[in-house]
Amino acid sequence: MSSAILFKDIDQPGLNTLAVYRERGGYGDVLRKGLSMPREALVTELVNSGLRGRGGAGFSMGKKASFMPKGTMDKYLVCNADESEPGTFKDRELMTKSPHMLIEGMILGAYAAGATRAFIYIRGEYAQMADILDDAVAEAYDAGLLGNNILGTDHSLELAVHRGAGAYICGEETALLDSLEGKRGNPRLKPPFPANQGLYQGPTLINNVETLATIPHVLGMGADEYAKIGVENSTGTKLISVSGHVKRPGNYEIELGMSARDIIYGLCGGIEGDLEVKLWFPGGSSSPVLTKDDLDLAYDFDTLAKAGSMLGSGAIIVVDEETSVVDVCLKLAKFYKHESCGKCTPCREGTQWTVKMLERIKSGQATPMDLDIMASVQEQITGHCLCVLGDAMAMPVGSMIAKFRPEFEAYIEEARQRSDAELIASLDAPNEAPLVGSLV
Amino acid sequence: MSRELEEEVGTAGLPTGDLTLGQHVGSGEVPRYRGGSRTPGWDDAVDLTKDPATIPDPSTCHVPEDLRAEIEAHMAKYPDTRSAAIPALMAAQKRHVWCTPEAIEQVACVMRLTPGYLVAVAGFYDMLETRPVGRHKVYVCTNISCSLRGADDLMDRVVEEIGDDPDFNVRSFECLGACDIAPMISVDDVYVGPVALEDVPTMVAQIRAGDEVLPEQQIIRRKSVDPNAVST
Amino acid sequence: MPRPEPQFITFSIDGREVQAPANEMLVDAAKRGDVEIPVFCYEPKLGAPVGACRMCLVDIEGIPKLQTGCSTPVKDGMVVHTQTKRVKDAQESVLEFLLINHPLDCPVCDKGGECPLQDVSFGWGGGKTRFIEPKRHFKKPLELSPLVAIDRERCILCYRCVRFSQELSEDYQLVLHERGAATFVGTFDGHPYVAPFSGNIIELCPVGALTSRPYRFRARPWDIENSGSVCTLCPAQCNVAFTVRDDRVLRVMARDNDEVDDGWLCDKGRFAYQSVHAEQRIVAPMVRDGGVLREVPWARAIEEATLALKKSGGRVAGLAGGATTNEEGFLLQRLVRDVHGSPHVDSSAGLPRAGLLAMGDPALQATVADLEFAHTVLVLGTEPVDDMPIVDLRLRKGVRRNRMTLAVATSRPSSLDPNAVLSVRYAPGAEAAFVAALSAAFYGGDVDTPARAAGTDAGAVAELAALLRTSGGDEAGDVVVLYGERVLAGGEAVTQPLLKLAGALGLSGRAGAGLLGIPAATNGRGLREAGVVPDAGPGLAELATAGADAAGIAASLTAGDTTVLYLMHTDPLRDQPQRATWDRALDKATHVIAHAGFMTEGIREHATVVFPAESYAEKEGTIVHPDGRLQRLRPAIGRPAGVRAAWQVLDELMRAAGVDTGLHTVHSATRQLFESVPFYAGLTVDTLGGKGLRWWEDEARAAAWPEPAKPGLLATVASSTPTYEAAATPNGALRLGTFKSIWASPEVEASPALKFLHPTQRVELSPVDAERLGIRHGEHVTVGGDGASVAAVAHLRNESPAGSAFLQSGIPEGAANVLEGPLVEIRKAQST
Ligand SMILES: Cc1cc2nc3c(=O)[nH]c(=O)nc-3n(C[C@H](O)[C@H](O)[C@H](O)COP(=O)(O)O)c2cc1C
Ligand code: SF4
Ligand code: FES
Repeated sequence: MSSAILFKDIDQPGLNTLAVYRERGGYGDVLRKGLSMPREALVTELVNSGLRGRGGAGFSMGKKASFMPKGTMDKYLVCNADESEPGTFKDRELMTKSPHMLIEGMILGAYAAGATRAFIYIRGEYAQMADILDDAVAEAYDAGLLGNNILGTDHSLELAVHRGAGAYICGEETALLDSLEGKRGNPRLKPPFPANQGLYQGPTLINNVETLATIPHVLGMGADEYAKIGVENSTGTKLISVSGHVKRPGNYEIELGMSARDIIYGLCGGIEGDLEVKLWFPGGSSSPVLTKDDLDLAYDFDTLAKAGSMLGSGAIIVVDEETSVVDVCLKLAKFYKHESCGKCTPCREGTQWTVKMLERIKSGQATPMDLDIMASVQEQITGHCLCVLGDAMAMPVGSMIAKFRPEFEAYIEEARQRSDAELIASLDAPNEAPLVGSLV
Repeated sequence: MSRELEEEVGTAGLPTGDLTLGQHVGSGEVPRYRGGSRTPGWDDAVDLTKDPATIPDPSTCHVPEDLRAEIEAHMAKYPDTRSAAIPALMAAQKRHVWCTPEAIEQVACVMRLTPGYLVAVAGFYDMLETRPVGRHKVYVCTNISCSLRGADDLMDRVVEEIGDDPDFNVRSFECLGACDIAPMISVDDVYVGPVALEDVPTMVAQIRAGDEVLPEQQIIRRKSVDPNAVST
Repeated sequence: MPRPEPQFITFSIDGREVQAPANEMLVDAAKRGDVEIPVFCYEPKLGAPVGACRMCLVDIEGIPKLQTGCSTPVKDGMVVHTQTKRVKDAQESVLEFLLINHPLDCPVCDKGGECPLQDVSFGWGGGKTRFIEPKRHFKKPLELSPLVAIDRERCILCYRCVRFSQELSEDYQLVLHERGAATFVGTFDGHPYVAPFSGNIIELCPVGALTSRPYRFRARPWDIENSGSVCTLCPAQCNVAFTVRDDRVLRVMARDNDEVDDGWLCDKGRFAYQSVHAEQRIVAPMVRDGGVLREVPWARAIEEATLALKKSGGRVAGLAGGATTNEEGFLLQRLVRDVHGSPHVDSSAGLPRAGLLAMGDPALQATVADLEFAHTVLVLGTEPVDDMPIVDLRLRKGVRRNRMTLAVATSRPSSLDPNAVLSVRYAPGAEAAFVAALSAAFYGGDVDTPARAAGTDAGAVAELAALLRTSGGDEAGDVVVLYGERVLAGGEAVTQPLLKLAGALGLSGRAGAGLLGIPAATNGRGLREAGVVPDAGPGLAELATAGADAAGIAASLTAGDTTVLYLMHTDPLRDQPQRATWDRALDKATHVIAHAGFMTEGIREHATVVFPAESYAEKEGTIVHPDGRLQRLRPAIGRPAGVRAAWQVLDELMRAAGVDTGLHTVHSATRQLFESVPFYAGLTVDTLGGKGLRWWEDEARAAAWPEPAKPGLLATVASSTPTYEAAATPNGALRLGTFKSIWASPEVEASPALKFLHPTQRVELSPVDAERLGIRHGEHVTVGGDGASVAAVAHLRNESPAGSAFLQSGIPEGAANVLEGPLVEIRKAQST
């Protein structure tokens, strides 16, 4: 079954130009059809397709669009191209190679949302991709695909590319809005949800790059056809980014419901050095980890949720058996500590406390009791924060402690012995400086 | 945010930027950058001899014409001009290498915001530098996927190769969204990878010479692994 | 925007049925059921909740996650739990997190004993910690400004202080740096946080991170008493609580009275209490003896004054300053008028009785709170942040929260310009022409002529008129004109068109709309109502003979027609225009009797008898807020040994002249005043209570307001078109405008903590004029004309209108009143 949709022409030379994109059928009948449908019909089509958000939360795209209020106020569509979730790089591939697919999706998405102004919030590090988008947007304006009266319809859309400046939290939709408004990227309280009060207080629809880029295809094949791809509740194809210890890391387009084993061992050719899998993150570094016992799970939203994790952004990170879980845990915790915006207490304090505890484990100053404290700190974070960044550390860290407790304990013991030995060695060495303090 | 603040006990005087870049002027109690500006940080009191930092008055704050034009062009893109804060700071940073107090004041003057507002924004984002750095950005991704493939050693190697060349801004960075080419580096916004330890001297030489960096390993030239992979 | 009407709903909290206004935040609604939900970041005064600290998590049935009570509006039928294990665990978690890096140095912390973090930890914390890592450590305390110290270890990052700076006072100087656990509160590039309202962050901080430098380590909560009164340092009359230890005022805090101050204080109000215990304060009576003032026993001073008054044979004049209470003013006019038979009493009200009656008509009065809810506010001829600081915050709030439309019409660029939809400039001193142009624009009259005379743009005037006319959509909505009473110096030429405008806007009798005048000094309104004006007695009763106003008194002194001047808390050299004229007048006076707290120049050089004045923390009596609220001053501390209450002194002087005053305490003076003012009828100090009372809100009292002698001032149109002086400036010369900084006051000068804020003379001018004159920013210049000159530093402002220059008044040296104006020249100073 060859059902590549988003990646069908992905390596077609020049796909990033308007000419080639058009040649391949872009900005054609589908766009015309979409813009001539009543807005509600377009939204219904999206609802029926079962398309779920590709950015992380997996919320129905159509339903979110249907929350946009009617009325004449200024409404906005924002494309979330922040793509900062560790392990995720699929939006980059789409934007680099097929920027017009995103623009076409945004024209339709904006029409569905009743928005006349749209922004692509792209992470600042993706400067090259932002340049490509800028060029594509300019081409689209020149061709009358953006601006006033698109293709002679009475739909108009202003689209601008906005570059971030390096902050993971700006992928969170309300932090993104603050950042887009020129502020520090702190998440906002919800409610009000962006659909009611988003950018500049106006109703705002926020979707991931992949979600928006899928719209033309949903419309092209029809909602019912699209819904046939994949499995129940997880329709369609999904771009997945596979990284870590696999032989062939990269982006793949899969039909939802494929087994994880087929992805890791089939598509990606297995583990480097033909080692075993120790653990894997099914949906970016924020997803609770799974083990090699979970490899036969179907890769879809519901199955992964049932298994205690999540599909998230569709980023699989594979860690082999030789890697220490403590190292992975510390890397992870440090990342979230560095990226916590600092607005709310449990996240700000909990992430740094976790890092301090893990560092103590590494330096051999910990006891297994510290694992209990660490696990309890994760529980104290979960569900208590303003946004889910705190949970995004607490859940995977918690899952690692739960699933690899013996390894943590062994590590603690080993590190403690190592550090004791070093201490004794330093006491034995008569010419070394005194251990505690210096009198000079 | 230019540098993660260290929080280990004992480091009461946190690094407040590279003071060797400037000379200490004034009383000697307050360390300053070149140009007389005081270094900001956790452990510093304010300089009571300064005036409060209000919105700079255009009649007394000089903004280079081209910078003003660039900032104004950004402001015009948004329904609310304040949205241009990040692009405007980026533009000023490009000109001043980092967000110097002077750069911030210039943006503040054009955007009619206080310098405080802007420095708070700059401080929040990793790519906006509020302390002195070198011109060439070398961001080595050391997040999970890259570190699983040797990024930590790569980082050490890069630091070793570049040494204390003040023209460089070497940082270990969070996931840059290119784990398919792990371990990877963003060199002045150009993504390259996988970078082997042996590639480092070439890469650094290319940066120094102003040449294209590791052309074969640039992500922009990379094909998708398997566009039709669904068919296995 | 009209004020919202609350609708009550019923919800359940911890099993109790509680009624609360719909959409009230849960933490507030809970209090109605006697349930306290702990908070840190929540502070409704700061605007919408931010939900940052997570202290207020509660369990709401039907919602899976715990919710922040500070940001959840109550709905009918909501079922809330705050006592479940889940909630308690969450609260303990948040507190544990908050405390892991907090130094717990309570024994040496100023906040100890009055610290929300302590209280909440005690009430809701687990009482234990499992954190054994090293805590964050920073140098502490550090200066954040000369007034505020910051201790970053103690900070719990609740956002309150930065929200205040950014969203309340909108000075946007105090910000958060970095992010995550590295976040810290600070300013740009080490600049101090200096702004008119900066001190409020001390009170807002729920921990000991921000402390008052003048108060640090002076007292502990169990050493002190708080005493409520009113700040009399400016017309805003904010309600304060004095922190007293051992009969000394050590601190001033806001005593929330939303209708007056919304719970904020300016830094003058917060820190100038230091003047109460300043060394330079006059604390003993003095008499001029051989050319110098010498301390004397009270009896001697009274005798000297009695003699002087007697010898004058009725050639006496009385002048009262803004710090004078109603009682003091009332007794002063009794002394001068009733006892010594002279009609000359003034408090610089600026208008003749008819004008005061017309402008003060109860039907036309707006309140401070109206500024927040009006459709449109026109700020006319005043800089609120200097003239009545707290109102500046109120206007910003109106714009920010209620989308009030703000228009500004001033000579000098206003700090409110960025918030205004329209700012119109006119030449200094051209108020009359400007208001006439505005009024003409309303009625379709000739706008151009007066606009040209006002040096303003006729188009902008028309735009302003249109804005006011359509503020409520198609029609005029609730409009408030907030004007500086300085503009009334133009007399009828200003009041006539202004009243006409008020009529056209339908301000009369309209709730939420009207006029609000900012007097030049604190109790301007009260003094007027107590009869300290040349042509009206207490209650603005008509007088048989009118006396001279301040300028007239100066002339009369110079001419020798008046020989004794009685000064009540005022120094004409500072407070009056035309300093040279007053210098001569005071020189000519045979006796100058002054109640003064500080040796300002006029007192030092000219007073013959000085009575030490009570400080505002020692005073008892009443004053009237610009919006008509009678407020009560209560003594927080005892007077220094050598000081006597002014009412007592006046009483003695009257008794010495053989009058039975009937006074026993200050309350008897209040009673006499209330009895003599018809529109205060029935009031007592008790009815005023702690928060005061707007007398005109009672219909009977409002009806007692005297009818203007010239009936229908509101309706009549000036029959002849007045002529206006052209605002054009002849070659080289600039029009002189003046402004008085919030920091220009003897109390500020006497407060060591505020020393750094003493204004020095600067001349503000436009870059255009500066370039023409070859003057650079920061250069020393001489501003002069007519033989007099003052030294100043050139201060370029981009928004300053070309053709005008602005100098400060009210400062001790080289104030604007040295120059007569209206034109001045600016030259580089001889030696820089
Ligand atoms: C901490 C955090 C980071 C996130 N980062 C991203 C991101 O980089 N890209 C993205 O599309 N969504 C991200 N999300 C999810 C967004 O908040 C939001 O759910 C998504 O943009 C909605 O689009 P979708 O419905 O099309 O998935 C993030 C969420 C959180 C809490
Ligand atoms: S200094 Fe005080 S008010 Fe400011 S964030 Fe810290 S705890 Fe809050
Ligand atoms: S008080 Fe509710 S989150 Fe701080």
